[in-house]
Amino acid sequence: MKVKRIDHVGIVVKDLDAALATFERNFDLNADPARGGEVPTFAIKNAFVPIGGTDLEFFSPTTEDGPVAKFVHERGEGLYMMSIEVDDLTGAIEHLRGLGARVGDPINGLAFVSMKATHGVNLQLVQRG
Amino acid sequence: MTIGATHIDHIVISSNDSAATAKQFSESLGIEIKRAMVRPGTGAHLEFAKLQEVILEFAGPGEVKPYDEVKAKLSGIVLAVDDIHATIAAIRAAGFSVGDPHPAVQPGALFTGMKGGTNGVPFGFIQYNALPMGEPKA
Repeated sequence: MKVKRIDHVGIVVKDLDAALATFERNFDLNADPARGGEVPTFAIKNAFVPIGGTDLEFFSPTTEDGPVAKFVHERGEGLYMMSIEVDDLTGAIEHLRGLGARVGDPINGLAFVSMKATHGVNLQLVQRG
Repeated sequence: MTIGATHIDHIVISSNDSAATAKQFSESLGIEIKRAMVRPGTGAHLEFAKLQEVILEFAGPGEVKPYDEVKAKLSGIVLAVDDIHATIAAIRAAGFSVGDPHPAVQPGALFTGMKGGTNGVPFGFIQYNALPMGEPKA
């Protein structure tokens, strides 16, 4: 398995539009208008703010249940997960499973690694291109 | 108002055993740990990996107790800036609290942190090549 780079860092916010306005107004960090929106699969809406070659992904829950909504209720806003780009998603999943880690099946080209395998860090794998 | 961020420089993963967490990431993901050190002054144990422009910093206490379970979490983001003094001025003008810059563990770099962060995220800022190389750290 080859990790290529950090693709993005996920930040949970309660109000996506308000958070984006905060970062745009105060820090001149702007969302990419070509990406983001509703993601029904994960019950979120999101936006990507590129900084150099890595994005900050801001997202807020669109339902009252689900892991993101649970995170907000229990911990409030904050860092949620780190996404790393791998050269071969299927191979990476097989590699990690071979080491005993629980890794979910790919959804929308992404796969989540069980936090038990990362000492509690929410880790996502993604393959681009 | 701009803070002049050029890229995400650090992602900080804090752990009650940063060496163990760094080893876990290294062995499972094939990420090479490039550097390990004790932070002067605090005694914190730091390990670093680099993935293109982004450094993963594993940070934990200098003295590790025999924990039942190693626990880690994403704990901060550090943005690289061209002019840390201008960044600090911009952040303060926006009404946020940020400390004065001080020498970072990276030689020649200055660092500051946004007190309390924003949206639950602790943000720091680093400017490389801000100090003559070899200048004593505070």
